[in-house]
Amino acid sequence: MNAAPFFLGYAAAVGGLAPRLVLRSSWPQRSPLLAVAVWFALAASFSLCVALAALHLATPGAHLHGVLYSCRVAVGLEAPSTDGLLPALGGAVALVVVVGHLTAFALHAGRAYAARARHRDVLDKVGRASACSRATVLEHAEPAAYCLPGRAPRIVVSSGAVGLLSAEELSAVVEHERAHIHGRHHLVLAAAAAFARVFPRLPLARHLQEQVPLLLEMAADDRVLRRCSRGALAAAMFTLASGEAPRGALAAGGQTALVRLKRVLAPAHDAHPVVRWAAGTGALATFVLPLLLTCHAGLG
Amino acid sequence: MRRLGELEAEIMDCLWTWGRPATVREIVDDINLRRPSAYTTVMTVATILYDKGWLTRRKQGQAWLYTPVRSREAYSAALMEDALGASRDRSAALVHFVERMTDEEVAALREALRATGRDGEL
Repeated sequence: MNAAPFFLGYAAAVGGLAPRLVLRSSWPQRSPLLAVAVWFALAASFSLCVALAALHLATPGAHLHGVLYSCRVAVGLEAPSTDGLLPALGGAVALVVVVGHLTAFALHAGRAYAARARHRDVLDKVGRASACSRATVLEHAEPAAYCLPGRAPRIVVSSGAVGLLSAEELSAVVEHERAHIHGRHHLVLAAAAAFARVFPRLPLARHLQEQVPLLLEMAADDRVLRRCSRGALAAAMFTLASGEAPRGALAAGGQTALVRLKRVLAPAHDAHPVVRWAAGTGALATFVLPLLLTCHAGLG
Repeated sequence: MRRLGELEAEIMDCLWTWGRPATVREIVDDINLRRPSAYTTVMTVATILYDKGWLTRRKQGQAWLYTPVRSREAYSAALMEDALGASRDRSAALVHFVERMTDEEVAALREALRATGRDGEL
């Protein structure tokens, strides 16, 4: 029996239906980091299914000794058991999925690294250390704040922002950027971009690339709230979001600010442990199930 | 031994603060008020900045007079544009505190603040 149709159907479910399920639930906003993990578990599951489907499609009726075999074929340690063009094609597709992800990630991360290095080189000459020396202050009237993550990170606030924010609000902003830097959120974003690059137009990829940045902002907000008051964070958010908008960047998704602000102002507990457990287990299961199926197909 | 970048920043800071062309000697004297620094080192770094396009220079007698090519504000504006502009790649390179909003979105934001009774704190 050929298991390829199973895997393709499974991939379709994970790539099309699962995102709707996650989007419709409320727990992701309450446990944003768990939600990020779930999105990536779905992405990994989808990639795995596509690769497995390609392998099974290429070797109909052959003995597929489970994951081990698939992996060995994928990395080229073992030639597919039937000769001909089809198996080679299947192996190639599986290989493309794996290599594609790695390449897209490396390209994205590399480009971002270079952009940050260029930016930092200028910043270090132009910026001044802030009074608390945790941030670099840029002489600019428009209120704004951002960070350069990665090695030799920088937190940047404009002098306009320093002038408008109170000390507590400013420390909330700095704390938020520190959360991004410490959490290495730029690598997570690069991974999301890589998946979207390999599977463009896939609903899962589209939603993942939309949701993960927002969830990471929420996670950073949560870290701020450990040290700063809700009022300070909300006020800082409002001041910087409503600041004199530069031409061209006007329509840049302010909805996320509204969602975040409402969330910061309305204290909600973490998602119930049972809900978190179910979400985590569900995501893990979507990933493990195809692996088990592979074993079954191999035995059958 | 200071890092090259720090000395570069110090030289640019001097020239921007003074707002006039200056010789390497003047810059060295200014840095020496805070810590000892060698004339040749500062001269080398000033030449590097000239080669990188940060400074222009013209001869005055024996010495070069250095001037910043652009103002500190101009560089700051360019950095802000790089960080907050609508380029596609920026999300991973530079992580914002918050996105900019339209007027309608700001109104919705204000409404959200008012609904929770925190508007007075702003």
